[in-house]
Amino acid sequence: MSTTMTITPEPATSDGIGDKPVLRVRDLQVTFTRAGKRIRAAKGVSFNVRPGKMLAIIGESGSGKSVTVRALMGLLPPSAKVAGSADLDGQELVGLSDRKMRLVRGQEISMVFQDPARSLNPTMSVGAQIVESVRTHRTVGRKEAAERAIELLKLVRLPAPEKRFHQYPHQLSGGMRQRVMIAIALASDPKVLIADEATTALDVTTQAQIMELLVDLRERLGTAVIMISHDLGLAASYADEVLVMYAGQVVEQAETSELFANVRMPYTRALLEAIPQVSRPSHSALTVIGGHPPDPSQRIEGCPFRPRCVRATETCVTAPALLEHDAGHWYACWHPVTGDPREETES
Amino acid sequence: MTDTAVHPHAARPDGTKPPGRQGRGVTQGAGSGSPLLRLFGRRLLMTIPLLLAISVLVFVLLEMMPGDPARNQAGMDASEEQVEAVRQRMGLDRPAPERYFGWLFGLFRGDLGQSSVSGQPVADMIADRAPVTLELVVLAFVVSLGIAIPVALMAARKPGGLFDRATMVVAMTMLAVPNFVLAMLLVLVFAITLQMLPAIGFVPLEDGLVPNLRSVAMPVLALAVPLAAFYTRFLRGDLVEQMNSADYVDTARSKGVRPGLVLWLHAFRNSSFGLLTIVGLNIGTLVGGTVIIEQIFAMPGMGMMMLEGAMSQDVAVVQMCVFIFAAVAVLANLVVDLMYAVLDPRIRYGSH
Ligand SMILES: Nc1ncnc2c1ncn2[C@@H]1O[C@H](COP(=O)(O)OP(=O)(O)O)[C@@H](O)[C@H]1O
Ligand code: SF4
Ligand SMILES: [Mg+2]
Repeated sequence: MSTTMTITPEPATSDGIGDKPVLRVRDLQVTFTRAGKRIRAAKGVSFNVRPGKMLAIIGESGSGKSVTVRALMGLLPPSAKVAGSADLDGQELVGLSDRKMRLVRGQEISMVFQDPARSLNPTMSVGAQIVESVRTHRTVGRKEAAERAIELLKLVRLPAPEKRFHQYPHQLSGGMRQRVMIAIALASDPKVLIADEATTALDVTTQAQIMELLVDLRERLGTAVIMISHDLGLAASYADEVLVMYAGQVVEQAETSELFANVRMPYTRALLEAIPQVSRPSHSALTVIGGHPPDPSQRIEGCPFRPRCVRATETCVTAPALLEHDAGHWYACWHPVTGDPREETES
Repeated sequence: MTDTAVHPHAARPDGTKPPGRQGRGVTQGAGSGSPLLRLFGRRLLMTIPLLLAISVLVFVLLEMMPGDPARNQAGMDASEEQVEAVRQRMGLDRPAPERYFGWLFGLFRGDLGQSSVSGQPVADMIADRAPVTLELVVLAFVVSLGIAIPVALMAARKPGGLFDRATMVVAMTMLAVPNFVLAMLLVLVFAITLQMLPAIGFVPLEDGLVPNLRSVAMPVLALAVPLAAFYTRFLRGDLVEQMNSADYVDTARSKGVRPGLVLWLHAFRNSSFGLLTIVGLNIGTLVGGTVIIEQIFAMPGMGMMMLEGAMSQDVAVVQMCVFIFAAVAVLANLVVDLMYAVLDPRIRYGSH
């Protein structure tokens, strides 16, 4: 373990209604070794996902979002070392053998990827790709599997499912392809559905439609959804809970309403200000966070956001721990933002 | 929805391009109608001027060939008058364009001319010789792909593993050995040391399948082994790349599909298009390779016919042989493009 002290949080289990989490991730560490260098891509990530809820994982590109969820899926290259724990409904995923992981993948936990133009096999019909997903985990006949595939296409509200079944990916629009990907992911009624930047490659209208679909599915099927995005605005609109990652660490976490009412981390604030807002006067410049995220192969002393933080002081040379400062609201910062964010920026 | 279908052969996000699948000259059909039929027609039309250009090129090259066919025909000690008479009989006194068009229109009538040495119609000679070369070429492709595909699939299962590394060493060695050296080695081992196969000579199929196959075994191997090495290296590389970086491979894995099936059902399906391209491009080279191999193993094929013709300045024979070799290469590429169109749904159904 590094000198960076992290306290394993037990986040967002309060509030009474809280179902038992279906997925509990604790102190997840992902380390790559490349050219003799150790790249720490996830440094002790912890979170819970509850059935029928949507958790958004937000952060700039390179903050370790994909690496974290790929570790859960067992989809990292062999050069990755995973440590920590991920309990999926009683089953430990970290350290699972390839063979056992394969039974979990697609069955208990599945994933929709970023680029629908590439994530489907161009040489196979849409139907064949869904049927493959159905038949991987269940011994059913071709006809039955095809019926299930059509059913899934209806579930994701793809128009003319019988016709689409026989078509090839290139004959579908990006939005339709992403619906097909969701159908594939849902083939075995997984407990957790991960959407890694699943709407990033789509235009705004299609993006909203796909997000609505995910929100609707999580309610109807009771599936827990982990939605990954670099867009805090998307999380604000659709997620139940938000987890903000920076440099492979969780830096702030709360239920969506709480988080957006009381943003504490200067990094989250900066992300929020980077969102183009309709209410913002058109001439005002968009705030982009200055500087770059730290190099993951470099050792970081103190708060990882310090070089880019406007509030940084001497104290920040010591790493702040992720703590539950307010009920259900976790963050790692010595000098959290308080009060109205808009006033703060003036100073 | 404003998003459009992206051409699958477009650059990957990291700027690299998938290997082997560029520049096939096949464009997706747009609009209504059968894109496949239109593609077929267009490609066929494009082949005609290409073949004409080749025929001109072959004619010009042979014109530039040193030596005088008429003198050669008449004999070294013939008088000038005798040579002139032969020249006239052979029609060589006519201007070049006239002779070219005469030859070309002859082709359309099915008249391929006559050997100036034996007087035999070239068409008959080709009918005799072509089946031998065809058998060598077809078997060489079957054998090379029959070796390369399973070996590459096995090697790609565990990149960097023992089998993979051993395969690559063997492939590199085989690629470095020239065709004729390999032929000599085969003769040394199978004909001289083991005495398993006849060293030279061709037994036609009419005399029995086994004797026929035994007679072509070594020439086929000499042609197929370097090809197999080349295909294995290409296919293994493409498979590994697909497995490492293709998004649809991630999707297949995320479904829980077994790694062997991901490789076979997903990666290989996509890699096979690249392989097909390489095979198409190779056909010309392979046909060229038969010229040497037929010589070494005394196979009475087109390659040997061409060499014999060249040695005796038999213009009609050489011209026809060279033209056929070139035409085969062009037509083979046409066939590959069409196979592409039939096999690849992106072309088969166009996009909309
Ligand atoms: N296969 C790999 N080998 C080495 N480093 C990797 C690999 N995959 C990801 N990383 C590193 O892990 C960090 C986090 O990446 P990622 O999780 O993809 O970020 P994002 O939040 O944009 O999804 C990046 O710095 C990246 O360079
Ligand atoms: S701990 Fe210090 S440097 Fe880090 S975010 Fe808070 S104020 Fe900024
Ligand atoms: Mg990512």
